[in-house]
Amino acid sequence: MSKGFRMAVLVKQVPDTSSVAGVNPDGTVDRARAKKMMNPYDKYALQKALEIKSAYGGEIIVISMGPPPAIDILYEALEYGADKGYLLTDKQLAASDTLSTAYALYNVIQFLGKVDIVFTGLQTTDGDTAQTGPQIAERLDIPQVTYCEELEINNGRVRASRVIEGGKQWLDLPLPCLITVANSAGKIGHKRFANVYKMKELLRDKESLSKMVFVVSLADIGADPNLTGLAGSPTVVGKTWKLGEIGGSCVMFKGESPAHEVELLVNRLIENHCGIEELLK
Amino acid sequence: MNQIADVLVIAEQIQTDLQSISLELLGAARQLAGKLGVGVQAIIMGHNIGDIPQTLIHSGADEVFVVDQPELAEYTTLTYRRALITVLESLPRTPHIILCGATTIGRDLAPRIAAYFKTGMTADCTELDIGDYEHKSKVDPSKIGIYHNCLYSIRPSFGESLKARIIGPWRNPQMATARSGAMEPIQPDTSRSGNIVPVKVNFQETDFRVKVIETIRDVASNVDLTKAKVIISGGFGLGGPEGFDIVRDLASVFKDSAVGSSRRGVNAGWISYSHQVGQTGKTVRPELYIALGISGAIQHRVGMGKSKTIIAINKDESAPIFQYAHYGIVGDLFVVVPLLKEQFKKALASAGRG
Repeated sequence: MSKGFRMAVLVKQVPDTSSVAGVNPDGTVDRARAKKMMNPYDKYALQKALEIKSAYGGEIIVISMGPPPAIDILYEALEYGADKGYLLTDKQLAASDTLSTAYALYNVIQFLGKVDIVFTGLQTTDGDTAQTGPQIAERLDIPQVTYCEELEINNGRVRASRVIEGGKQWLDLPLPCLITVANSAGKIGHKRFANVYKMKELLRDKESLSKMVFVVSLADIGADPNLTGLAGSPTVVGKTWKLGEIGGSCVMFKGESPAHEVELLVNRLIENHCGIEELLK
Repeated sequence: MNQIADVLVIAEQIQTDLQSISLELLGAARQLAGKLGVGVQAIIMGHNIGDIPQTLIHSGADEVFVVDQPELAEYTTLTYRRALITVLESLPRTPHIILCGATTIGRDLAPRIAAYFKTGMTADCTELDIGDYEHKSKVDPSKIGIYHNCLYSIRPSFGESLKARIIGPWRNPQMATARSGAMEPIQPDTSRSGNIVPVKVNFQETDFRVKVIETIRDVASNVDLTKAKVIISGGFGLGGPEGFDIVRDLASVFKDSAVGSSRRGVNAGWISYSHQVGQTGKTVRPELYIALGISGAIQHRVGMGKSKTIIAINKDESAPIFQYAHYGIVGDLFVVVPLLKEQFKKALASAGRG
């Protein structure tokens, strides 16, 4: 038996809304034009896997589902120290909700064979659901720790802490398991120069690269296309609208002297019967 | 008999403290059930939970399923999963809708239940409603049609500054988690009556794969922002942890006030997480919300946008918070806040005279 743990880290490519490209003046995003990045939450998941690998040895396989350009985040994960990457890409996957995404990713994990730990980020910045991880764990019939901060493994048992309302909890559980990593789990390390260099070499050496990063379709992994994409999704987005103005236009006080502005503001609060007098003590 | 099934709430307790989210969910469930003309059910799981079932009835439940067993003294995913599945499978009718809190427990448990029943679920809703839906997309012809009495799960999509209505009428239960503070509880009514139904759960050995070693909770530090009438919040513009002194100072002139923070203030380690307002923190709707040095990204706005009066003080006139605050002062908060405190005191003094 080989030493260490076989780990899968699930990563997603999301629009980079901090970039100007593709972000409309009203804050809405033109997904086609937007700059893309690895979901920031996923970096904590990858970091946890790297820490486990450095402490106990093992192999890190990053998995993503998305259109072909999403392969970039697998390359990025390899620069951080992941060993292999799998991109599940298939036209049928379009409009997948969390349940059908979980089904598809579950099939990639099954395709890999034995995996000791599946890591995911807490949630994504474009979906914000935090549902896909637990839904994969349900499919795999394995225990999970969500909002995980600390993690260690002794004699095949996992000891993990998770955030709860007003505190934290320490858990003991067996392998295999699924861990969603909280963004309070610690600092993210840097890319290794040697890995970045190696990645550059690999991108020129397609044959070696094809032994590390794999692009697979639903047929390749034996997943039922009817359970993926729009067909396999029990929910749809019925309607979207821009986040409207809440309080109407803001009454601004500026320019004169701060004391004058403050006086005007408080007078206005009283005139408008905001009930400010009742709130003061 | 109504052809539509009931709305069911998954109530939540930690160490026998009923979590306020449960009452908020019951408030939302009553509204939805009113529109559908159906009843409200609740499930509570735990050990030695005392009169919690009665409280749930007073707060809007018509029927409460109670699983009170020693195995459920502490929350673990798999034991609570088993209890919940047992109750749901024992019901003569699958609930039309299931609501759960978007808490660290609800977000852990509910997605597994949705995956088990292979049904749709929407996370972190800020509004819930009932309505019709026409599905026209031909991608999956079996879905085409007009559907009535659908759960509208409404949630912001932060990354895109959009609000989305998610719908899944094809399969019941239609599931959603709701953010803490987003839904309003009903006024408790001790004369309300309802059925309390105990359910016995037979656990399997695999349900005990996860063991709780230790639970560390500091209830005192769990600031109850959601109940304060006035919230003074500070952000990155405070410059450091000592910046919160001025926030606390301003809060001190109000009767029922609490100190809040933006995510950046918490992430920088200036104040504890329990003070955080916004997407990954709490949703609040006080009478008065004063934002000091908070730029007001959409993630913050979703947590406090329903406050009755919002005042923002920020150096940067182009800060997004000025787009939705009711009143704004452009200026250095360290200059403005002491003046504001004085002016509030004057206002109180003259109100006292009047």
